[in-house]
Amino acid sequence: MRALSIAVKDTRHVYRNVAGLAMMLLAPLLLTFALSAAFGSGNNFSVGAVRTVVANQDVSAGAGAGTPAAGATLVSTLTSPGMTGLLKVTQVDSAAAARSAVDNGDADVAVIIPAGLTNALTSAAPAGAGAPAGGGAGQIQIYRDPALTVAPAIVLAVVQSVVGSLNGARAAAGTSAQLAASLGVTDSAELSALATQTAQAFAGLAQTSGPVTLEQRAPAVPGAGQPKSPNVASQVLLGMMLFFMLFGAATPARSILDEHRQGTLSRLFTTPTPRSTILVGKYVAVFLVVLIQAVVLLVAGRFLMGAHWGSLGPVIILTLVSALVAASLGLLTVSYAKTPAQAGAGSAAIFVFLGLISGNFVGSANIGGTFAIVRRISPIGWLMEGWDNLLFGGSWSSIALPVGAALAFALAFFGIATFFFRRRYT
Amino acid sequence: MEAIAVEGLRKQFDPPKGPVAVDNVSFSIGEGEIFSLLGPNGAGKTTTISILSCLLKPDAGDARVGGFSVSKDPDRVKALIGVVPQDIALYEDLSGRENLLFWGRMYGMRGSALEKRVDEVMELIGLSDRQKDRVDKYSGGMKRRVNIGAALLHKPNFLYLDEPTVGIDPQSRRSILDGVRDLNSAGVTVLYTTHYMEEAQELSDRIGIMDKGVMIAVGTQEELVQLVGERTRIDVAVDREAETLAKRWRELPEVATVSEPEDARMWLSVQDANTLIPSLFDGARAVGARITEISLAEPNLEMVFLHLTGRALRD
Repeated sequence: MRALSIAVKDTRHVYRNVAGLAMMLLAPLLLTFALSAAFGSGNNFSVGAVRTVVANQDVSAGAGAGTPAAGATLVSTLTSPGMTGLLKVTQVDSAAAARSAVDNGDADVAVIIPAGLTNALTSAAPAGAGAPAGGGAGQIQIYRDPALTVAPAIVLAVVQSVVGSLNGARAAAGTSAQLAASLGVTDSAELSALATQTAQAFAGLAQTSGPVTLEQRAPAVPGAGQPKSPNVASQVLLGMMLFFMLFGAATPARSILDEHRQGTLSRLFTTPTPRSTILVGKYVAVFLVVLIQAVVLLVAGRFLMGAHWGSLGPVIILTLVSALVAASLGLLTVSYAKTPAQAGAGSAAIFVFLGLISGNFVGSANIGGTFAIVRRISPIGWLMEGWDNLLFGGSWSSIALPVGAALAFALAFFGIATFFFRRRYT
Repeated sequence: MEAIAVEGLRKQFDPPKGPVAVDNVSFSIGEGEIFSLLGPNGAGKTTTISILSCLLKPDAGDARVGGFSVSKDPDRVKALIGVVPQDIALYEDLSGRENLLFWGRMYGMRGSALEKRVDEVMELIGLSDRQKDRVDKYSGGMKRRVNIGAALLHKPNFLYLDEPTVGIDPQSRRSILDGVRDLNSAGVTVLYTTHYMEEAQELSDRIGIMDKGVMIAVGTQEELVQLVGERTRIDVAVDREAETLAKRWRELPEVATVSEPEDARMWLSVQDANTLIPSLFDGARAVGARITEISLAEPNLEMVFLHLTGRALRD
């Protein structure tokens, strides 16, 4: 009962502190919202659609009847349904309007298709695309916001792909005409028709069947039946939750040093409450604080971000073990320190290091290879692995090893912290 | 009957080279007595009270509180004592009432008995109307009162107060001294440490004077004053040259001691005041100074301390 009184008093102290609450609950949620907004709300880490403005001035007829203008082909590719997740295209009438949209921040990138693009493609010199403004007659201009790097690169890649396809069609037409001529065809109308058909066939082939497809599989989870694809927010929130739980634990753990400094610890020692009971009360407080923090964040993730953590049983076990690990680490990083300031500085450095090697700041799907092995030297890494397994469809069997490893770390940390505290206070 | 018996206490911090805080200290306190430990800062008062509170283990010697050894039976001792630490040891983010409830639980109290006792103590310390305010909103004097109240919840037989009036206003000080006397009247044995001579004189049945970790004298005020002998105290104020006069008067054969001048005031411990006083006026005249006030007083604990150590209590 006395240990519980101490635990309740310490827990209330932490949750009455607005700054502490902001650090424990608001910071992880805000960071998750921010990172989710940056990487999209889908199932994978991805950038948001690039706001692209297109000024197509290549409206004249091309090489001949039946051959579409190159500008129209490019616009059609940029606005095709397959590009909607990647590009958000708006068309304007002039190059000036396109540049103005970028200058005003209404668009990330402008694609300016020159009037002579089709003619350039049907002439000897190959057409191209490039960033510098004021290129040649057949030069497509990509005008970008200088602060952006990824978005222009995406647009440039798409435009270069289309231009490459058009250049390929022209080369195929020329080759087929030369081949026909070498075989004795001399009628220029017949040769022209053959070249047009070849170009159309090449362009059509290029548009309908890309040579490469990319399919992303969910990480392999031992024991999982049907792998799930959790949303980005849940993956980010897990890392943030475990990281900020360490800070959540350090705050009540530091109360031992605070009470020592304020004299209340000495006063506690003059009461009939045994010192071991006082220490247990402190430990329970640290555990309660991070447990409440974890539950709040998990519930917030469920209802605010649509996270599906997994089956309830394994979620409860992982939550409890996470709280134990965080509590033990919080106590350990405080046990060796002589002052609260020393404990604060030391524990922050240790927590950031653990967060980095455990993958708290990258999505679960991005951890593999050496990283996946290295993070196992940290209990947080094991916890991340357990939670990831659960997120991606795993159950009891897939969390057993991470839970066991994390518990072993927690017990060792509790043991070391107790050794230091007992040496100092008993 | 001895309620507290201290025998040969010794405590050294960071041995073997650390300071000896308490060395061979022995004294006893009778049941229902107010016993003050008087001495300057660093005399060993807080170390002594810490050992009697079972906070520190003595390197040698032992103390028995209510018949129980602080070394061998600390849990029994802790149940009998209430400790008011020198610094305010309360939770500032809790209200006065929440603090008392918490400390009561630490003494094993619970439920309605605890609630009732908290009501009583709040009434006793005069904070019933402010009990729901957070402690960090209290004045220094109010905090001191809660600090004392937290030690009274379990109705201790022995109350230790370690310099409880440091840094508070005269009104709160008066309230605390009156409260201590009331508690003592109700049967509580009090161990009080202070470096204020006036408090020790006013409160105590008996006084132990400590200096540099050693108990240099123990007794009632009258017994201690007798240590000074048949001397008289002369309080003197001069208009100038106080330092020069103090030095000059120390050389007079009838003068035992002269305190360090403070605001041109000093006191002298002398064998025969009547014959000496003219010499004092002569001395002042010789250095161009004038005695503006002069009075005779009975010897006090300040004189005793100076007599025993050669230093003033506040040095």
